[in-house]
Amino acid sequence: MPEDSFETGVAVGERWARTDGRAKVRGELLYAADQPARPCLDVAIHRSTWPHARLVSVDTTDARAMDGVVAVVTGADLHAVLGERMLTGPAFADQPCLAYDKVRYVGEPIAAVIGYGPAAVRRAAEEIDVAYADLEPIHDVDAAIAGTAFVHDELRPSAVFGDLRHLRGKKDTNVNYEYTLRHGNSGAAAETAAHTTSGDFWCPPTHHVPIELPFTAAWPEGDRIEVLSTTQTPSYVRQTLADLLDLPLNRVRVRCAPLGGSFGAKMYDRLEPLAAALAWTQRTAVRIAVTREEAFLLTTRHGAAVTGSMASDEAGDIVAAEADVRYDTGAYADVGPRITAKSGMIANGPYRIANATVRSRCVYTNKPSAGPFRGFGVPQVTWAHESLIDELARARDEDPAAFRRRNLLREGDVAVMGTTMHSADFISCLDAVTGAVGWDAPLEPAAGRLRRGRGVAVGIKAVLTPTISNATLQLNQDGSATLLISTVDMGQGSDTIMAQIAAEVLCLGEGQVRVVTADTDVTPYDTITAGSRSTYHTGNAVRLAAEKMRDRLIGLAAGRLSVETTDIKLTSDGVVSTQTQETLTVPDLLLGHFGARGTTLTTEADFATSWAPYDKETGRSPQVTEHWFAGAAAVQLIVDTATGRVHIEHLAVAGDVGRAINPALVEQQLTGAAVMGIGHALFDELVFDEGQITNGTLLDYQLPSIKDMPDRITPIVIQSPHRSGPFGAKGVGETAIIPLAPAISNAVRDAIGIRFTRLPLTPERIITALAEQHTEGGTA
Amino acid sequence: MSATIEPTVNGVRRRLTVEDDDLLLDVLRQIGRTSVREGCGVGACGACTVLVSGRSVSSCLARAIRYDQAEITTADGLPEDDDVIEAFVEAGAMQCGYCIPGFVLMSHELLAENPQPSREEIADHLEGNICRCGTYPEILAAIESAARRRSQSGVPIGETT
Repeated sequence: MPEDSFETGVAVGERWARTDGRAKVRGELLYAADQPARPCLDVAIHRSTWPHARLVSVDTTDARAMDGVVAVVTGADLHAVLGERMLTGPAFADQPCLAYDKVRYVGEPIAAVIGYGPAAVRRAAEEIDVAYADLEPIHDVDAAIAGTAFVHDELRPSAVFGDLRHLRGKKDTNVNYEYTLRHGNSGAAAETAAHTTSGDFWCPPTHHVPIELPFTAAWPEGDRIEVLSTTQTPSYVRQTLADLLDLPLNRVRVRCAPLGGSFGAKMYDRLEPLAAALAWTQRTAVRIAVTREEAFLLTTRHGAAVTGSMASDEAGDIVAAEADVRYDTGAYADVGPRITAKSGMIANGPYRIANATVRSRCVYTNKPSAGPFRGFGVPQVTWAHESLIDELARARDEDPAAFRRRNLLREGDVAVMGTTMHSADFISCLDAVTGAVGWDAPLEPAAGRLRRGRGVAVGIKAVLTPTISNATLQLNQDGSATLLISTVDMGQGSDTIMAQIAAEVLCLGEGQVRVVTADTDVTPYDTITAGSRSTYHTGNAVRLAAEKMRDRLIGLAAGRLSVETTDIKLTSDGVVSTQTQETLTVPDLLLGHFGARGTTLTTEADFATSWAPYDKETGRSPQVTEHWFAGAAAVQLIVDTATGRVHIEHLAVAGDVGRAINPALVEQQLTGAAVMGIGHALFDELVFDEGQITNGTLLDYQLPSIKDMPDRITPIVIQSPHRSGPFGAKGVGETAIIPLAPAISNAVRDAIGIRFTRLPLTPERIITALAEQHTEGGTA
Repeated sequence: MSATIEPTVNGVRRRLTVEDDDLLLDVLRQIGRTSVREGCGVGACGACTVLVSGRSVSSCLARAIRYDQAEITTADGLPEDDDVIEAFVEAGAMQCGYCIPGFVLMSHELLAENPQPSREEIADHLEGNICRCGTYPEILAAIESAARRRSQSGVPIGETT
């Protein structure tokens, strides 16, 4: 739907500046570590040097004797006090904040030194002496599935997800969760297909690397625990700490600050359980400020192997698709089981597919735990299905964009997992990006050793369902508003988006709605700030709270003006009687109502989504998600056949956002995710050697810089309004990263005739493939 | 060993007692200059950038003791009407904002040396600063806008406001 067909409002659809933009540029915004806090002791962590071993002894004698050391706390010390409550995690309660019986990855925390000054505690942490009894380490997903060594003695699903309960106590496996989808009979259909493509695909583990380092401070406050932390999930952390310390929720306070980026890194259990356990058991204020090297150990993006195939009949319909997906979740499940299901169910892509099979498994290995990362496991399966469909189109000698367009899901279609499509306009996304890069124009060959190519890919993702958001809105007597939500602004601009939604309903202007930073003592429950869910979920809660406020104002005005409520309208000038044209400003109305200046009128609202669980036999569900994200990327690039380097000339990305509350912020999410995706396509990779990260510093870990920018980058906003989105809106944080890597790889395939199945497409990998192509005569 | 240094920070002379191995980054943060931030600790991300007599320095690699008598500028010490800051704000050149003060200071250094940089020269100069949110298109636009305005208003080369 074109933008100008929407009703024009005062706020929604406007390019309002970020509420904190100037403070960010001036460097005056205070992040968590910059916030005023009480004096805290510093904490340093002694970490495992073994990937898999029993702890024989932890000798802290020398460390305790060092200058500046106040206490040394081991996993065994905490376990003696907290018992099994020490094991936390969002899907599985399997992770101790300090290891006490065995270690499961290189870098796992074993003991914490508390004392005066970072240098003193770090020196002391080095003096802790640990004796290990070596166990067989598991470094690889497929070895973990086949092997006889086990990372955990038994599975421990958390209390959060009822559908994981049957896994409790399961022994002798590294597979902590398995999702299967069966729709029709893909095996039989593939046998009679006209064209089939198949492949083994691999996405390596990567790291989020938000530039702000993780930080947590914690202190006992009488009979309460207070925590100031870099987290996207304050409501979750409060519950976790309440469970950990066996406290009621009102004795746990979790405060946030604006985040200096996160992308999934700062959520669920990171530094908070350790900081809270130390503060509570030692009755002292502590701060944990980790180094970049330590931050690499806190969480990663799942490496994933996908064995997939896709088949079409003579007419070009997709008759079968299969995917066997193995997510490497590392030593602790974190939210891996959820990723395995949510990404598994769309592992065949957003297509009309007659017969489909998926097997998606979440697998423990002896690596740092993998958790949520922008895209929630979907980019890994998209890498497979968007490479497969590209080859299938080529096998049919059909244009890859045209072949996709013919088979893409449309409004009202039921996807293979059983849920109906709505507000997911893949066709418009595809047409927009291919149009932007001039897909149908002849490709001008590049000169000499350079080869030019074009590629395209689409992506689908389900929003996390079911979830809950709450909003509390205060209208101040002077007409300004204060909004209390637990959504965390980490750069996506949620404070600005939520202000615009409230302002739209209440006819307020830019700068008139203040959003309070999440603080569980003050701001109401919100499931998480993640999965691109906030605009829709928190946005709806904010819209509902604002509508209640509008109705209250109208009620007050009707009483004051002695007219029916239906005669009152709220406008930018105040409340107006449509009969008499009499107008009252909001400050006058509230002053009259309360008889005092500075008063507040409060409304609140909650918004929750529901789902239908997967059928046990087929993995299908008529309502697996509240809504879908649809996106596409197209790219024109040049491969230098001498150096193996890829130069992107034009990258276009599109996302269907339902309705853009703030088009500028939507475009920024699209380009920002695309830039991150360029890294995943071309160089971003966490490298392990025998379980040890070998590139865990920013000297070694390559991130996209300004030099990696395409010559041209075009974000395109597609708007097919969602029937229950706030003003039709949905989120956009992940949409563009999903199709990015396969779009680039498909363009490389177009340029040099080589199909890559392993990411990233480094110059070395391209050079090696070109050399093999030369000697082997051009096989893909 | 500790020593006393007397740098000028954002125009204010400071008298500071520092240890031999104290980092300039930590010392500046301790006196409230929290626009200077650690991102990597190895001089690879640019979040800790400060200007010393107009030249960029990675304060996470700099020993504070060497900055006695130095003229240090941090982003939060730039004037209220700073043209580069205005250009960044107008271009929407920020997402999470954590790295942006570093980009602002690098832009000042660049424009002082090269008032009309090409896109390639801007990229060359900012290559060592990482914006993980990927705000590079807006940052490029902001610097080009600041350069254009300086040339129109005739600010002489080397002046930073």
